[in-house]
Amino acid sequence: MTNMNPEPDDFNDLRKLMALKRHEQPSPQYLDQLSTRIIARIERGEGRLSMLDWLSANFASRPSLTYACGLTLCGALGLTAVFLARQGMKQAANSGNDVALDAPNLSRSYANQFVPVTPPIHIANWLGNTNPGTESQAAISLFGVRPAAISVSYQP
Amino acid sequence: MESAPATVVEEVIGAEDRKVADLALVQLAQQGDIKAYDELVHRYQERIYATVYHMTSNHEDANDLVQETFIKAYRALKTFKGDSSFYTWVYRIAVNKTINFLKQRKNRLQMSLDDVDFNAENDPDLVALASEKTPRRALNLAELQDKLNEAMLKLSEHHRLVVTLHDIQDLSHEEIAAIMDCNVGTVRSRLFYARRQLQAFLSDYLK
Repeated sequence: MTNMNPEPDDFNDLRKLMALKRHEQPSPQYLDQLSTRIIARIERGEGRLSMLDWLSANFASRPSLTYACGLTLCGALGLTAVFLARQGMKQAANSGNDVALDAPNLSRSYANQFVPVTPPIHIANWLGNTNPGTESQAAISLFGVRPAAISVSYQP
Repeated sequence: MESAPATVVEEVIGAEDRKVADLALVQLAQQGDIKAYDELVHRYQERIYATVYHMTSNHEDANDLVQETFIKAYRALKTFKGDSSFYTWVYRIAVNKTINFLKQRKNRLQMSLDDVDFNAENDPDLVALASEKTPRRALNLAELQDKLNEAMLKLSEHHRLVVTLHDIQDLSHEEIAAIMDCNVGTVRSRLFYARRQLQAFLSDYLK
């Protein structure tokens, strides 16, 4: 198993070597002008917070604000959905009433259009149609020749 | 004007005073006092710069990132509540910005090592290193630092950050934990693994 708490001496040489990096200094002009550049950029307006930055900064630092905004947004969405659903139902109800009020005219106007369709007799017979309405016509011969009626006497 | 060297007690008191003074400056800056913010920038620019530089190994990138850090900190200043010190807070912004930048950069490795401080030649550790009969002896300072930076860049961002803050900038485990927003145990373990990796990368120079 790896020892997670090594003796301090284990890395002494390495630490000495790494400490050499402390001597890596930037050229003087870097630090001399750094704060001047920063302040100049802030004064130019870069330091201003955009709406998005403001929101993200506030959301990050105040979780309660995040929850409150989320809750408000959900509430607003829910209310909108309920409102729209009610509107839809009202409209549907109104259009239903209109249809009901106009029903007599409607039935008259459509009466002629909805004529029950009877299939041609030969097809009806061929399909074995059981419609009693078409049954009476089943006797009509396809060849226009009616069979002669045979009178039958039941008298003994 | 140069001040006399401070004792440990004076340093502790100085650190406390500095914290209080920082808070006063932050409050002024929050009210729009740009001079107060300028003072805060002056106080921390060097340390922030060093951290960012050791993470990126590039002065131009470090310069840009430090500017971006302080501008972002100014924008977010109104949300600063003083739960941590301004120093830790601004450090955290710098570290996050740098890590994001490094993730984007990944393949672009540039090193500007021409401007090594010549005072390094007076460093006793360096003199000792140069006098030993090891492969290090053949290296001049710039080459050695080149190798160090190369090794550092092989570490992951989080491991590099821990080594930078602890071994180069001498920050305590607790301070690093506050900056990195993790616990002290994580800092210790990251430091251990980072050093182990560095030891392997730099084995030729540690014999």
